[in-house]
Amino acid sequence: MNSRLDRRRLLTLAGMAGLAATLPACGRGFGGNGDSDGKVELNMVWWGDAHRAELTQKSLDLFQSANPGVRVRTEYQDSSPYKDKLAARFAAGDPPDLMAMRFDSLREYADRGTLLDLARHPELDQNGLTEPARALGRVGSASYGVPSGLNTIGFVIDKTLTDQYGVDIPDGDTWSWADLATFAQKVTRASGGKVYGTNFEPWTVANLLVFARQRGEDFFTADGRLGATEATLTAWYQLVEDLREAGGIPPAGFIDQNNGASPAQSYLAKKSIASQIIPTNNLLGFNQACGGNLVLLRIPGETQGTRRGQSVDTPALWSVAAASRHPAEAIKLLNFLINDTEAAKVAGVTRGVPANSRVAETIAPGLEPDNKRSSDFLAALQKEKLPASYPYPVGASKLTSILKTISTEVEFGRTSPADAGRQFVTEARKAIAP
Amino acid sequence: MIRRRQDWAGYAFLLPWFGGMVFMVVPFFASLYLAFTDYDLLTPPRWAGLANFREMAGDVKLHQSLKVTFVYTLVSVPASLAVALAVAIVLDRGVRGLAIYRSIYYLPSLLGGSVAIVMLWRYLFGYDGIVNDFLSWFGIAGPAWTTDPDHALTTLILLHVWTFGAPMVIFLAGLRQIPAMYYEAAGMDGASTWRQFRSITLPLLSPIIFFNLVQALIASFQTFTQGYVLSNGSGGPADSTLFYNLYLYQKGFAEFDMGYASSMAWLLLIIIAGFTAINFLAARYWVFYDN
Repeated sequence: MNSRLDRRRLLTLAGMAGLAATLPACGRGFGGNGDSDGKVELNMVWWGDAHRAELTQKSLDLFQSANPGVRVRTEYQDSSPYKDKLAARFAAGDPPDLMAMRFDSLREYADRGTLLDLARHPELDQNGLTEPARALGRVGSASYGVPSGLNTIGFVIDKTLTDQYGVDIPDGDTWSWADLATFAQKVTRASGGKVYGTNFEPWTVANLLVFARQRGEDFFTADGRLGATEATLTAWYQLVEDLREAGGIPPAGFIDQNNGASPAQSYLAKKSIASQIIPTNNLLGFNQACGGNLVLLRIPGETQGTRRGQSVDTPALWSVAAASRHPAEAIKLLNFLINDTEAAKVAGVTRGVPANSRVAETIAPGLEPDNKRSSDFLAALQKEKLPASYPYPVGASKLTSILKTISTEVEFGRTSPADAGRQFVTEARKAIAP
Repeated sequence: MIRRRQDWAGYAFLLPWFGGMVFMVVPFFASLYLAFTDYDLLTPPRWAGLANFREMAGDVKLHQSLKVTFVYTLVSVPASLAVALAVAIVLDRGVRGLAIYRSIYYLPSLLGGSVAIVMLWRYLFGYDGIVNDFLSWFGIAGPAWTTDPDHALTTLILLHVWTFGAPMVIFLAGLRQIPAMYYEAAGMDGASTWRQFRSITLPLLSPIIFFNLVQALIASFQTFTQGYVLSNGSGGPADSTLFYNLYLYQKGFAEFDMGYASSMAWLLLIIIAGFTAINFLAARYWVFYDN
């Protein structure tokens, strides 16, 4: 049998392969939720892990036994694929009824009219929330999200390592950025370079929000513009590069930006660094992954700056789709999630401290020690006068990628902190221009 | 009459393919339309004429993604084909246990685009990964392969070259079809091995080389997974692994600019069609068909 490829067959093959392979895939998805047995079916989506899924399901079971006419179908994923899938579901005309919304994406959806204005639904009870908590989901006079919980960022230091190398941990309420530099350098030296004193992500917007506020600026202004100046970005990158020069943070290339946020994979858990910034609602997870001896401090510079930098934020908002076919039931579920004490008891603080202060107080005594610690940390902050946090403007979700690129350029000495500041402001303005 | 009935049978067998084509053709034209619109996924598309294509001219990131994709293609395609051919020739010499070797070398092709392997690559080439450990035995301080923008793409090119199995199997089949008598005759005339390779193997194998080249080039322009996984979707460090398709994906799904993403898809189609056409034109001068 002679099966040698002849010219014609080859042409056909290559042509077909080429055509099939280059067709741009840009289809519309399928969806739809049938209410076959007379029950109203709500679709609720969120991001997180299996542990959070278990806790969420427990609270949903409570809701469903109290509301036999409603069935809740949930889906969850990791945060990065979640983001893409949510956009695709809206594009396909099949949005979920209730969804976890990233703080930095709220206005991408809200400003395009795809979310329900919760301010027009007085049956949603937000009275238990403090004003700063309610402001997290507010755009103008409308409200497009309710915080699923409250958190902030904090600095964790591994006390096992600092004890081992005989380095004192500074006072967490009053330490300065210079104190951090001294501390970090001491750890690195004392360990002979085996452990670096600290590392925090220079490209994470949450970190920059705090730093900008300490310098008297709003990273994003109340009316949705970029408020951070070149000088602030330059100072930020200078701070990082000075730390690197002094050996307080690892050398260029050591940290993989894409290492992921999971506590088990963190450099802190691997004991290659002694401290880092974490979202406070992850304290339990980090402490478990790091051997159980983490100390939680505030961000440095809180008492030396022009004003306070830390604020009360949310890991995620709950939003309802404007196109939901069952808005009444979706709001009922939302009410339950934020205001029901029993729901909060079973769900715990996986999404941060309950936004409803009364609920938060009620469940506080029953929390695990690490969760109690992060809750108390946040409660103490809430009692102080802090600058407000505003929803990120449209286009702000591009900033992380811009910051990652610029941070790498600075890290490898391809650009100076001064140029980096200029470049960031130019690109960020373009990204969030109306 | 019989002939017509046979035609129908043929079409019946093709039915699943036609069914599948619907899912190709509809998005094909949908994306052609979207390429000329401003479409943010959430609100209906608005006609924008050539605005997307004009924006491309000044889009620095787009130019970077083209550069990454071209460098990747122009280095890794010839390199992986050369390795594939070399290994195929060695195996064709009648190695004992050919089936086993063939399978072992083919394995990476099955795995190379998979998430697990790219993750493994990240660990191998990590700052204190196995590769740098190995280099340190020889007193070489290896760079930060995956986190240094000067080296990240190199690791992906190595990954691509490593997956030479698919073209190798095709080369091997092609080599098997070159009649042994040509080599015997050449050997009797005193032609060296190199001479035999140049004057017998290469010309007779040229249709296969051509086929592999066209395939590899098209696939390479469409690289996505490797860059996505290595950089967790960012194309980093510093856009050094921002493949064209990765940027297209970012535009469409992360930055709510599906109109622009669609026009990018069409630019890629034009680029690939252009390269393939050049390939076919050039083939007239070097591909030898003996029928």
